[in-house]
Formats: sequence, C-alpha cells, structure tokens
Amino acid sequence: MRKRIGIFVCHCGINIAGVVKVPELVARVKAIPDVVSALDYVYCCSDPGQKLIKETIKEKKLDGVVVACCSPSLHETTFRKAASEAGLNPYLCEIANIREQCSWVTSDRDEATEKAEGIVRTIVAKVREDQALERLKVPMLKRALVVGAGIAGIQAALDIANAGYEVVLVEKEPSIGGHMAQLSETFPTLDCSQCILTPKTVEAGHHPKIKLLTYAEVAEVSGFIGNFRVKIRQKPRYVDIDACTGCGICLEKCPVRVDSGFDRNLTKRRAIYRLFPQAVPNKVVIDAKNCRQLQGKKCGVCARVCPAQAIRYEDKERFLDEEVGAIVLATGYELFDISKVGSYGFGQVPDVIDGLGFERILSASGPFAGEVRRPSDGRVPKRVVFVQCAGSRDANQGVPYCSKICCMYTAKHALLYKHRVHDGEAIICYIDVRTPGKGFEEFYRRVTDEGVKYLRGKVSKIFRRNDKVVVWAADTLAGKKIEIEADMVVLATAVVPNPRGVELARKLKIAVDANGFQTEAHPKLRPVETLTAGFFLAGCGQGPKDIPETVAQASGAAAKVLAMFGTSELYHEPVIAEVDEEICVGCGNCERTCAYEAVKVDKRKGKAMVQAVMCEGCGACSVSCPAGAINLKNFVKKALMEMVDA
Amino acid sequence: MNSTGNSDLVRRIEELSGQRLQDCYQCGCCSAGCPIGEMMEPPPSKGVRLLQLGLAEELLASDGIWLCASCLICGTRCPRNVDYARIAEACRAIVLRTKKSQVDPDKVSESDLQDVPQQAFIASFRKFSV
Amino acid sequence: MKYPYYPGCTLYSKAKNLDRCARKAAALLDVELEELPSWNCCGAIYNTNIDDLAAQVGPVRNLAKASQLGEKLVTLCAACYNVLKRAGGHLNATGFEEERKRILEFVDERYERDVRVMHYLEVLKEVGFEKIKQRVKKPLNGLKVASYYGCLMTRPKEVLQFDDPENPIMMDDLMATLGAEPVRFDFKAECCGGYLVVNRRDVAQACSMRIIENAKTWGAEAVVTTCPLCQYNLESAQSAKLPADKRMAILYFTQVLGLALGLGEDELGFEDNKLDPKPFLKEKGLL
Repeated sequence: MRKRIGIFVCHCGINIAGVVKVPELVARVKAIPDVVSALDYVYCCSDPGQKLIKETIKEKKLDGVVVACCSPSLHETTFRKAASEAGLNPYLCEIANIREQCSWVTSDRDEATEKAEGIVRTIVAKVREDQALERLKVPMLKRALVVGAGIAGIQAALDIANAGYEVVLVEKEPSIGGHMAQLSETFPTLDCSQCILTPKTVEAGHHPKIKLLTYAEVAEVSGFIGNFRVKIRQKPRYVDIDACTGCGICLEKCPVRVDSGFDRNLTKRRAIYRLFPQAVPNKVVIDAKNCRQLQGKKCGVCARVCPAQAIRYEDKERFLDEEVGAIVLATGYELFDISKVGSYGFGQVPDVIDGLGFERILSASGPFAGEVRRPSDGRVPKRVVFVQCAGSRDANQGVPYCSKICCMYTAKHALLYKHRVHDGEAIICYIDVRTPGKGFEEFYRRVTDEGVKYLRGKVSKIFRRNDKVVVWAADTLAGKKIEIEADMVVLATAVVPNPRGVELARKLKIAVDANGFQTEAHPKLRPVETLTAGFFLAGCGQGPKDIPETVAQASGAAAKVLAMFGTSELYHEPVIAEVDEEICVGCGNCERTCAYEAVKVDKRKGKAMVQAVMCEGCGACSVSCPAGAINLKNFVKKALMEMVDA
Repeated sequence: MNSTGNSDLVRRIEELSGQRLQDCYQCGCCSAGCPIGEMMEPPPSKGVRLLQLGLAEELLASDGIWLCASCLICGTRCPRNVDYARIAEACRAIVLRTKKSQVDPDKVSESDLQDVPQQAFIASFRKFSV
Repeated sequence: MKYPYYPGCTLYSKAKNLDRCARKAAALLDVELEELPSWNCCGAIYNTNIDDLAAQVGPVRNLAKASQLGEKLVTLCAACYNVLKRAGGHLNATGFEEERKRILEFVDERYERDVRVMHYLEVLKEVGFEKIKQRVKKPLNGLKVASYYGCLMTRPKEVLQFDDPENPIMMDDLMATLGAEPVRFDFKAECCGGYLVVNRRDVAQACSMRIIENAKTWGAEAVVTTCPLCQYNLESAQSAKLPADKRMAILYFTQVLGLALGLGEDELGFEDNKLDPKPFLKEKGLL
C-alpha cells in the first residue's frame, strides 16, 4: 500500500490547460488521501519537467507517482525512466490520461475538470495497490533467420553476418537473387542488374557466417523473441549439391521441354535446370512434376551423362530444425495475374507480354539474347505500346493501390527499346507519371527527350488484327479516343505480395493488410518492425518499392536485429499474468482464450502455468477465468475495484 | 471559368444516374473502350470532366450523349466504378423532358420498317425520343 | 421439362423463323416452352434513370405473369433477357420499396414471387451439354465458329451474373458439344451497334464490321448470335460493306442447335436470314 503518492498535472501547453482548469484540479487532487504532493507544470515530458518529478520524488520521499498528462502510449516510458533515475521502482509510476480521454474530447471546462479529477482518483487508487516489479530477463540466441533471398533478404543477411552473427538464409527457389536477377538494367542509372547483383549473391553464397538453404521453405516457427525454433522443409533437388559442379551437360541432354517461369514462359527450359547461368549456388535441380524418370516413365538420361554422378532420383523431402533469436521476413512480390483482366488479352492475343517478360527480352540471357524481338514470330517490333496501370489503381478489376515502380520501369523500358531499335516508336499510355526518387524526374525528362511518346489515358482494350496488336487508348488531354496498331504491347502489371509470403505471415500470425502486404508496426516511425516481437520486415513483402528503398529497408531491419543482439539481455515487461495455484482448478479457459499461447495447463499439476516471456499482458485470461485465479500483475481485481469506486 | 455555374443541373444528373462524379479520376479508360468513342463528342471521360467543372449545359447540348448504345463497357471497366452510360442517360432524360426528341418515328423509311427488327425501333425511340 | 417462355416482339414476327426452330430444337431435348399468356413488350432496352418508373411497368408485368406459372422465365433474345432480369432485380433493390409499390399498382396480375429470368442458353446448360451431345445427329464437322454474345447478355455483371462479362464461354462450350470448333476472338461481348442502326446506321455498321473482321482474324468461318438485333446488324453491315463473296455466314444459335440435332432444312428457317447461309453450309457438308 502506497502512503506517499505524488501527483504531477501536466498542462501540455494548452492541450490540457486550455480545457481543464489546472489550478482547481491540483487543489482537488491534493486532498485525496495518501497524496502528499500535487504539482503542475507546462510540459512534464520536457527536461525541466522530468527534473521536477525526480526532485520531488527525492524531496518528498514519494513511494508512488501519478502523472496526469497525455496517453501512456506516448510518455509512460519517459516518466517511468525518470522515476527509476530518482530511485523509485518504475512500475510504481502510473499515467492518468487527461488529454486523449478528457481534454481532447470534452468542451465544457467544468465538466472536463470534474472528469479529470475522476481519472486522477482512479489512477491514485491503482498506484496505492501497485507492487514494485522488475523487468524479466529473456535469454537470447544471437542468431538470425532471413526468409527469402531476393535483394532484400541478401542485404539483410549480409549486414547481420558482417557484424559477426550467424544467419540462416532460406530461399524457396533453387538459387538466390529474386526478381532482381530477372531484370536487364535498373533505373535510373541503367546499371546492368546482374552485374550489380552478382557481387552480393556471391558474397552471400560464400559468407562464413551465412548458412544458405536454397530450394527450401519455412514450414513452422514456434517459440518467442530470442528463442525461436524453426522447422524448415528442404525440398528434394534430386541432385547432390556437393557433387554437382554446375557443368551443365545434363541441361543439354534432357529430352523434356517446359515453359520457363524465369523467362515468363517466353522460352523453354528442361526438366533439369538452373534458373540462369550466374546462379548462386550454381547447381541444377530437377522439376519432379515434369521429369519423365520421376513420373514413372523411363528416362534417366541426366544420370547417365553426369560426369560427377550427382543425380539422386531417390532424394526425398527433409525437415531441418534451426534455432534463432530474430527473424527477418523478406518474401518479396509477384506480378498480378493480368489474364484476369480479360479486355487486355494477356495469354490469348499474341505479343502481349508483361513487364518482367520485357525485362527478359531485353536481357542478354533472355529469349533473344538481348535483341528486341516479338515472341510470336521473332520479328523486330517497330511500334511498341507500353500500358501503365495494368491492374493497379483499379478497385474494379485489379488492386486498389499504386504499384509504385511501374512508371519508372516503363520509362526505362521505352528508353532501352529506342536504344536497341533506332527506328522504333515507343508509346506509353499512362494515367499519371510518378517519379518520386532521386534522379527520377530527370530520367523521365531524358526519356521524353529521346522521343518516347506519352499518351494520357488508361488502355481499355487490346485485340488482334491479323499480325498486329491493336490498342484502344485515349488522350484525355486532347479529349479523344485513340486507336493504335502496334507490333507488341508490354503491360506494366500490378505488384502483389508473393502468395507464399502471405501464407507464411498468416501461419506465423504476423499482421497482413487487406492487400496481403505484411503490416509494419507503425506506418511512419516503425517501418521495419512488426507488432510481433522478434519479427522484422524488408522488401516488397511489406509493400511495393524499388531497389534502393528495398536495400535501405533491409539494412534497417538488419540494424534492428543487431540492436537486439547488441544488448546482453532481452527484457520483457513484467506486467504479465500470474496464477494463484491454490484457486486454479485447471479448467483450461485461459489456455483457450490466450492469443499468444502464453498460458497452458500443466497436465501433471492440473494447474495453469504462464510462460512469462510470451505473455503480452492483455488480460484476456483474467476475464475468462471463472475462479479468478489468474490475474495481471498490478491489475489485480482488488485494485480494479478500487479504481472503479474512486 | 464560372465553376459554380449550374451545380443544380449537375446535382440533378448525379441524382438521376446514381453516380458519384467525384469518384472519376479522369483516367480515360471509358473513352478508350467505348465502341463509339471516335465518333462521340465529347467522349465519356470528357463528358464527366465537363460535369466535374460544372459545365453541365455544354454536355447537355452535345451530340455525344445521343450516340450511346448502352453497351455498358465503360462502367464495366472503370477502375472507380463510375458508369458513364447512366450519366449519359440522365443527361438525355433532362433534354427529352423539355420535349426535344432526337428521332422521329415518322421519318423512318418504308424499307427500314420492313427490314429492321422492331426491337431496334422500340429501343431507339425509348432512348432518343419523348 | 416445361419452362414458361417469353418470345419478345421480334422473335414473334420478323424473326419468327428463329423462334420456330428454337421450339423444335427444345422439343428434341424434352424441353417444352410454354408461351406466357398475353405477354407484352418488355421495352427492348433497359432505362436506368432512377425516377423512370413507367419504363419498369412493362417488364414487371411480364414477370408477374410468369410468377403465376412458376419460378422461371425463359427468353430467346439477349435484349429481352437483359431488360427482364434487370427489372426483376431492381424491384428488390434496397431503398426502392416505395417505387416498387407504385410500379406494382400498375400491374394487374399478382406478383407471386421473384422469377429467375433465363436465357435459352442457360436452359441448355440445365439440360446438360453431355445429354445434348448424345442427341446430336449431325455433328458440325469442326466448323470454325465464333460465338458472339453481344453486350446485353453479360452486362451489368452484378445483375445478370451470366458468365464472365469480357470472355463468356457458355455458347463456345455448346458449339464444341455440337461438334463445331469454337474460335476464341476478342469481340465476343462487344456491342454490334444495337438500336443505333435506326438513326445512325453508319455508327452501327462500324461496330458490326469490327466484330466481323476480328472473327476473321482469328480464323472463324461463321459467327453465331444470341440476339435477333445482333443477327440483323451483323448481316446488314456486311451487305452494305462487303462484296458477296467476302461475307461471313451469321447463324442464330438455335439454328445451329437444330441443325446438329437433326432438324430438317425446312425447319431451320435459313431462308428468312438476311444473308442466306445455305450455300455456305452446303459447301461445308452440313446441309
């Protein structure tokens, strides 16, 4: 029981003082029993404000503090730290929110003052019953897991590994590099994508601190921050990764031809394949669904020709267990299935391709070795229409948001097309041109200077006319419908979160928004963390973004992980649930209610046991307990009743 | 520009059509997809723009609104779910209700009467006459 | 199976040949089309202005009549399908209760229940394409047909819910069932010009010709329609714009159905088509 409580009423400028009559409030609350001091100050959160609190605690030998100010979500930590510095247990310092819950929502001054008094009384009642608490120490394994090895995952893994900690880098594809490996050149510098990516993929592939698991997926995660247990499913490669030398003979001999997903179905690959020549790891993999041998029909050619005898048809799926302290989700994006927008003819009308498809055509390792030719007949297209917002900004048939990167990459596409087909005509059909990054507007200017035409109007229909592709567009600036007969059409398709990433986030109970993007802890100030302790975000899995932003975010996520690893211990808030074993009957209501799987009934003891570090102090268990056996520390029933009566 | 001119007319058009003109972000997809688009002046997106600027009279006086075939492609593809066919219909209603027909049943030729399916006549007179 | 049937004005007179063969084809599939007693014109096109209640009375009266006979109403014309189904749907729109009462005041017949308006194509789907396949007597020899649905069959998509509004396939599947080769093309559900043929024939012809040219680009030999007005527009545009040897045959889908099910040449009504398809069909060995 606290007997020497000090109250500090903050003016918060005019936020509180402009509505609540502060001098009157101070006078009233001074009279509350067990209160030995009641002061007010303009800005309690400021340095002088905090100094006042600390000095008063020492002078008046306070054993409890109530700060009547703004919401605890803003300054509870500030004031608890100040109390701690003055020698008072921080959990004996509580906030009475008389701003968001009083002055900001009440207009009548007398009413507000009365309400403020009520709120302060309530919190005084709580402080009276509060116990001094200590933060819980959590053991922490200083090892990280990065899910996804596109540029985001690679960057995050490198940053953490270079700081000296071990990283498990898991990638579902047979090699790393993500979509950046599919690109030809990147905007606005027109750097060759593979050239700037390969140094990083090689570094990640060889780094002594990075354990690279390719063709593998995260199956399950259990545990909590500092102590995660991860089950990884290693998919069968059917190739011994240590024996394979990457010589590529099997690639020439395999009889099967399948559409290459990496080339957006513009070329064929074999059933045994690697994604691209510079793949890291430079090993092949067998696509079991299309492999004759693995489907029960006799073949076995690759095994016969492999000089290293690396083929393993008997390979099976395996599960690996890893333990880590922090997890970075870098699951990336995919392109929206634009065949859903029937009027664009994708997949039906010849020579209508998507953005990544055009990247593959531009790429030296693509279907035409870097020459711009059209898929249907290999002829050089003399007029190409680039369609922006194919599926984006479309609440009707696509996704409601802007995919951010398409304006820039389409400008780049058109420019590169003009560079390679000198007498070619490039027409971009757009709604807006968004150039928010460094050097972007200048790049757009360069593109228009080099003769690329821009027509302002969203394309409605794309259809075939003999060997041409006809585009129905518009120019709203001139107010006309425009029909264009082109040789090829490139759709700048919407960016959507990788569905495997969405699935994983849901399984791990990481918040995901209505569009499937992983949700950051705060849209402005906490872009690389999630609300689930120990999970961090990097890259397009969190929202569409370009390469510089992805790399920045990945390094940011790594920094958060390193900040965690840089401390000697992790601390967990002590305002958690506690079971009174004498009253507990082991009914299991609390276990069923808990969203964090933090309380379970111990079968042998027949009592509920709280896993302290997993408890987030939400209190749902204490509501669900019919016997009142489980309670939150410093939110016990007695205190709550006193607060209500106050 | 008198941007507040005739907001009553614009409101009436919104009411009759049930469409929210402010939803249109002028992407031009409706004009691009309209089968009559090249011959329609103003084309659909320009029609909506005129209304957004309060220039309802200009749209009501135009030829374009009488060329709509009610095929509904505009509304089906609009990323903001605005249906221009209904807006054009509302405009036509306002004009027709001042007793200004655009087609005259008496002017239909004998050969057409014999030839053309009567559903076409009924529909045409419904849309374009009073 | 009996279905209440609404022919509509054009199929009752100028396109009577299409109606006749539709009924005969139905009979071959054990479907009886029971004509709605003293039905009236549906209005031929749907009016969207929210205060245009008079325009709703015509179609609603037909729905009321149909509700006396059962839960369904079949029509052979895409335009009638569009008007009747939308009128029925709108009657139940939220916030429309006052207007609904007013409309029903002008309808003598009791509106017993909501009626499901179906296009004849949907009836065929209910019969089952497998069953139809078994009854095919003259498979169509892989005739390359472009199935043209027109704009009124699939839109507005929320109300009609007839297949995909840009790329419907029901009729394509039917054609495949009958032994033809359905040709995919880009203008399946685009407008033929519709009623603009009355006062702006040039515009309607431009729309229709686009459809024909695109069907040709994809290799179609004939176009199959589901609406008498589309049928007329596609035929007359070609008459006006193309020499006789360049014109494509336009067939009504029930004519194609009847042909495959074994109806005689005199029962299919080809002589009343604006563009006589008989020489073409004879050339293809189908007649």
